[in-house]
Amino acid sequence: MTRLRILTGVGATLALLAAGCSSGGDDGGPVELTFWHGYSEADGDVLEGIVDDFNASHDDITIDTELKTWDSIDDTLLTALSAGEGPGLVAMPAERLPVYAAKGAFASLDDFYADEASNTANLVPGAAAMEEVEGEKFGVPSGFVPLAVYYNTALFEAGGVSAFPQTWDEWVAASKQLTVDEDGDGTPEQYGVVLPDHATVANGLWPSLFYGNGGDIVDGEDAVIDSPENAETLEFWSDAIAADQISPTGVDGIGADELFSGGKAAMTVGGPWMASIAEENGIDYAIAPIPAGPAEQAASAIGVSMAVTVDTSSAEQAAAEEFLSFFLSEENSVKWSLGSGWPPLRTDVPAEAVAENPVVASLTEIAETGRPLLPGVVNSVDVLSAIDELTQKAVAGEDVDTLLGEAQAEIQAALDD
Amino acid sequence: MSADHPPVRRYRPPAPLGGRRRATGSPTGRGVKAFLFLAPALIILGLFVVWPMISALRLSFTDASGFGREEWVGLENYVTVFTDPDILSAVTNTALYTLLFTPTAVIAALGLALLLNSPHMPFRSFFRTALFVPFVVSFAVAAFAWSYLIDPQVGLLNYWLRGAGIQMGNVLEDPGLAMPAVALVAVWKLFGFYFVIFLAGLQDIPSSLYEAARIDGAGPWSRLRHVTLPLLSNTMAFVLVFATIAALQAFDQIYVMTGGGPYGHTQTVVMEIYESGFKKLDIGFASALSYVLLVATLILSLVQFVFFGRKEKDMA
Repeated sequence: MTRLRILTGVGATLALLAAGCSSGGDDGGPVELTFWHGYSEADGDVLEGIVDDFNASHDDITIDTELKTWDSIDDTLLTALSAGEGPGLVAMPAERLPVYAAKGAFASLDDFYADEASNTANLVPGAAAMEEVEGEKFGVPSGFVPLAVYYNTALFEAGGVSAFPQTWDEWVAASKQLTVDEDGDGTPEQYGVVLPDHATVANGLWPSLFYGNGGDIVDGEDAVIDSPENAETLEFWSDAIAADQISPTGVDGIGADELFSGGKAAMTVGGPWMASIAEENGIDYAIAPIPAGPAEQAASAIGVSMAVTVDTSSAEQAAAEEFLSFFLSEENSVKWSLGSGWPPLRTDVPAEAVAENPVVASLTEIAETGRPLLPGVVNSVDVLSAIDELTQKAVAGEDVDTLLGEAQAEIQAALDD
Repeated sequence: MSADHPPVRRYRPPAPLGGRRRATGSPTGRGVKAFLFLAPALIILGLFVVWPMISALRLSFTDASGFGREEWVGLENYVTVFTDPDILSAVTNTALYTLLFTPTAVIAALGLALLLNSPHMPFRSFFRTALFVPFVVSFAVAAFAWSYLIDPQVGLLNYWLRGAGIQMGNVLEDPGLAMPAVALVAVWKLFGFYFVIFLAGLQDIPSSLYEAARIDGAGPWSRLRHVTLPLLSNTMAFVLVFATIAALQAFDQIYVMTGGGPYGHTQTVVMEIYESGFKKLDIGFASALSYVLLVATLILSLVQFVFFGRKEKDMA
């Protein structure tokens, strides 16, 4: 009797667990959709506002946002989706999209892009390129901004640098002028610039420098990092960092933010959040594009993508697409841009429309120089770690040609994976 | 001895609390009862340990990503485990970490246990508690705290050392120092536990043995070598196995402090498992690597148990 009761209890528990794991179907009723995102600052408030407007104007759809850190989205999405408990809509750093898409976690949005009502026709081309994996679109951009130089205007004035440098040579010269070693102990108290040698902001510093000299990392399915242009770039910058001491060594992206916000570096390469960090720390700042390299002016872009997960029913996918086109409408594009501090995602939003936010206005001016980082590369983890190893060792003074050869082999192996 | 010596009474263990009672019911009935008492634990173990292990074993033969589509790939994942240069380097790193961590943690724990076992030690209870405290702190919290302590820009440790004229530099970015640094954090965090186990083992050694040794003229070193250490060999086996397992599973502080860097110098096997599973979404390969680690851990533990078990037998 007792055993029977226990077994029945266990059976019931398992049945409940199984029921909890299954997702709702298409019953034609109102659709509820969970949306995971990591926008936690002013950008989060604007996003909530857009979602509220959407919910208010759509009786049959409710979108519930869930704020998580970007890292925790990446760490929990896999388990949540495999347990059938994942969100319907998710935002994530753009370079993480291809791996999820390639593993079948996201729904294809090709039909959505083909629909005129989707508001995707005028997307910034670089931003749209981040969403493509093996010729298919799997996401919609929610952010695309080229890395830019944020500089401390007070330190520029004190150091006698009146104009922001336009070329690499001018950049190094200005940095030298702004580097101060007061006590002459060989370790400057103030650096002209902070150039991290690994885990750089959005992993984009060194790619930006490579592009500036006409180099690249990946071309389609081929690794192209081992090129004379990239060798030149690495030699030029590691020399400036190590010999001229324009930047500290062994710093990562977070360390760079800290040095700049602590007033110990006159320039840093970063994203729009540097504006609010500078304000919080009472630093007078200005924004400028990364100075042009010998070949061109280009910068790697920080990208965020939104995708619809495979957990959704067709009604839920339709609801998610409805929201995406609402988000990309001209009105919301402007609202999102002004509130988040990121430049508009549509090319047809005129610069005057965002002029009231000076950060957005400056970033919009340089938006064209932005290039997506490793679009469509599924195994970006290994590619990025090969780049980190390359730059860290190059700055430490190892032989650039050997390092490039090794990086080339590692990146090619990651692409062939 | 003489034949008229009184016969030695056979040892009879004392009655358990509540007295001896005859077992009631049939053997089958007792089996069912025993099973019922065990059932809650068995169900939990089955659901959260055995079932995931079986699932992981099955997944290790597939190319699963966690989203439903999976194909049987046979031994492919296992072949990759043994041929991939990244995995080989992670194995080397893990071995180095184990060599740095295990002896340091065990010797520190044993040394301090010996010191604090002495009744003449002042503030014994305070020190015992203080040494155990790091074990109670979460690993992630400890790792963050240490990252700040040794930070080259804002770290207290650097500040103090600079006062003494020593430049420590950026330890976590130094390929030669990063691994010792993360291993030391683990030693600081975990040795308190081993210390308590050693202390319990030391208190189990009857003081009569020390008295006998003293009468035989044994000095402190001889007493340690011939009484303490042999009688601690069971405890030592336990601590060594635990410390080795902890070393092979090194992850938390590495994830927080170095993320596997500088350029892969602290990338351990568990970091590889995490990266393969949660970053590259290659659950099949991550499962295979986990199984290889499990088997390796099992073999190492068995070897240690057999080695120390034999020592115990030799002594008897």
